[in-house]
Amino acid sequence: MTFRVGLAGAGFIGETHLAAWTAEGVPVVVLDHDATRAASLAGRFGARVATSLDELFAGVDVVDVCTPTHRHAEIAIRAAEAGRHVICEKPLARTIEDADAIVAACEGAGVRLFVAHVVRFFPEYEAARRVVVEGGIGDPAVLRLKRASSRPRRPAGQWLFDHGLSGGLVLDLMIHDFDYARWVAGEVVAVFCRSVGADRPELRVDHAYAILTHESGAISHVTGSWAYAAPTFRTSLEIAGSRGLVEHDSVVAPPVVTYLLRQDAERAAALPGSPLSEDPFRLELREFRRAIEDGVQARVTAHDGVEALRIALAAAESAQTGRVVRLGAATRAAAR
Amino acid sequence: MSDPVRIGLLSAAHVHADGYLAILAAMPGVELVGLWDDDDARGRGAAARHGIPFLETESGLLATEPDGVVIESVNSEHRRLTELAAAAGVDVLCEKPLATRIDDAAAMVNACAEAKVRLMTAFPMRFSPVLAQLARAMRGGALGELVCLEGVNTGEMPDVHAGWFADPVLAGGGAMMDHVVHLADVYRWLLGVEVGEVYAVANRILHEHHAGVETGGLLSLRFENGVFATIDCSWSKPRGYPTWGGLSIEAVGTAGVITANAFRQHLVLYGGPGAGESWPFWGSDANVAMLGEFVAAIREEREPAVTGVDGLRALEVVDAAYRSVESGEPVSVQRAE
Repeated sequence: MTFRVGLAGAGFIGETHLAAWTAEGVPVVVLDHDATRAASLAGRFGARVATSLDELFAGVDVVDVCTPTHRHAEIAIRAAEAGRHVICEKPLARTIEDADAIVAACEGAGVRLFVAHVVRFFPEYEAARRVVVEGGIGDPAVLRLKRASSRPRRPAGQWLFDHGLSGGLVLDLMIHDFDYARWVAGEVVAVFCRSVGADRPELRVDHAYAILTHESGAISHVTGSWAYAAPTFRTSLEIAGSRGLVEHDSVVAPPVVTYLLRQDAERAAALPGSPLSEDPFRLELREFRRAIEDGVQARVTAHDGVEALRIALAAAESAQTGRVVRLGAATRAAAR
Repeated sequence: MSDPVRIGLLSAAHVHADGYLAILAAMPGVELVGLWDDDDARGRGAAARHGIPFLETESGLLATEPDGVVIESVNSEHRRLTELAAAAGVDVLCEKPLATRIDDAAAMVNACAEAKVRLMTAFPMRFSPVLAQLARAMRGGALGELVCLEGVNTGEMPDVHAGWFADPVLAGGGAMMDHVVHLADVYRWLLGVEVGEVYAVANRILHEHHAGVETGGLLSLRFENGVFATIDCSWSKPRGYPTWGGLSIEAVGTAGVITANAFRQHLVLYGGPGAGESWPFWGSDANVAMLGEFVAAIREEREPAVTGVDGLRALEVVDAAYRSVESGEPVSVQRAE
């Protein structure tokens, strides 16, 4: 039987997922509140268009939720109630209550739930974690994780800059590295965050950092920024451990460097990301598909998605109050 | 030609002592009068290497009537030696951190003020041409309004050079005591504003078996003008890393971002003395300019560009960091006067 996907949301990440599903040979049905945008995107990839959630759910195995964050819960829960497996873009939801409701709906309906923390599928991040897991640097002690770019341009209606809808930089961008820090160094027990956007909104600078304390005693420095000039997209990681250190910086090690005289050619050549035979989004969605078809675990679970959100919300709270937010084992257990 | 400026060294306990002696010995218009060290073998060795007299007592060194002394003792001795020099009317360049406690540092500042001698803190990064370029760009308005500084001053564990660096009494602490003051001072210099609040976390996972102090540490600072900053002071560069460590800053403003790495000017050498990869530094030696400033301040009878108060203010940030680690919460910086 053919594996089919219903894609909710035809924005930037929806397009990325549609490209990956198409490359995997998976038929996709696309729904967007903007029917024109849905038709335009579907047309480019030879996908079908749905005009309602019920139509989207009909005849698909999994619903891939790529809408703005504040709409994840509604669509994911309805998909679960319709008996469809759910893949949800990060962050899982805008609030812990919504995230818990999604998890409960999926458990209640007996469907699988995956949260698309794609950084776990970027080969440099996966390789660095493998070094740690295999004992290559001993016990992780101090982590530095950075994700920095110019202000995003694509989001329709500027929802990404509406804190109430997206959670802004901390929930949308830094959550990648919160998840990665937890994947590498374990549960987080204390979060301190400073955000220029939260503290001095009148400056219109989106830049923040967080200091995490892990249960293991490890400490993490996480930076998220939309304050760089275009077209920068810079990611870096450094994990110092008791027996060694592993580091990577996308700026230091670009495998292709262009010095083109024509600016339009320069722009076209300067694609973000390292050239790879398979892109991380494709690896991610393939792994989720295999997990559904074979009934096995993926490297990122629904629980991971909830915990990453919990850290991000703690960071957002700390940025507002200027105080440390503690995450106890009890908090996490109660939420399971 | 004016008389040479006479410089003595009080202790060679610090890893910088040999380098400073070599720089001073080569500096025009400087006469090295001698070296005292409480460790006889260490002191005689250093004196012999640089062809200068070894003095068996502090008073013996001060009796040679130097214009200035450079203090390279363990951190916990800085106050005593500074007060001896001040009492003898001798100017002081003191290795960082200025002391291990803020009341000691304040006492040093006061003793030198009362004795009317100069007190300079050894903050070489003030003299880094790389950081000077960052400072010029910031002062020229390239960043618009500055909002955030992210600094990394990580390095190897310094007990490969001298064991006392990881001694809680002699050093006064570990990675936080060793490294925080450099960036704290550079930030104050770049901003012209004091730190108001500090949050810090620390651990001892790196080198846990042979360190009695914290080896990993992260600080968040809030300056009095609202600028945020972080400092990574960890001894996180392992054996086999191509260099000892480094110091870099990312400055974020309303008009974009500038990064500056004070030690990026290096070759990449394979198969050299370390057998693996190593990074021979070819940039300008900030220590030369720093020692030159101390000598020039003496010769020109003026305040040095970096003072004892600068050392005290930086140490107040370290003091706040330890209190924050203790309480688990952000704390206000306490001033010692």
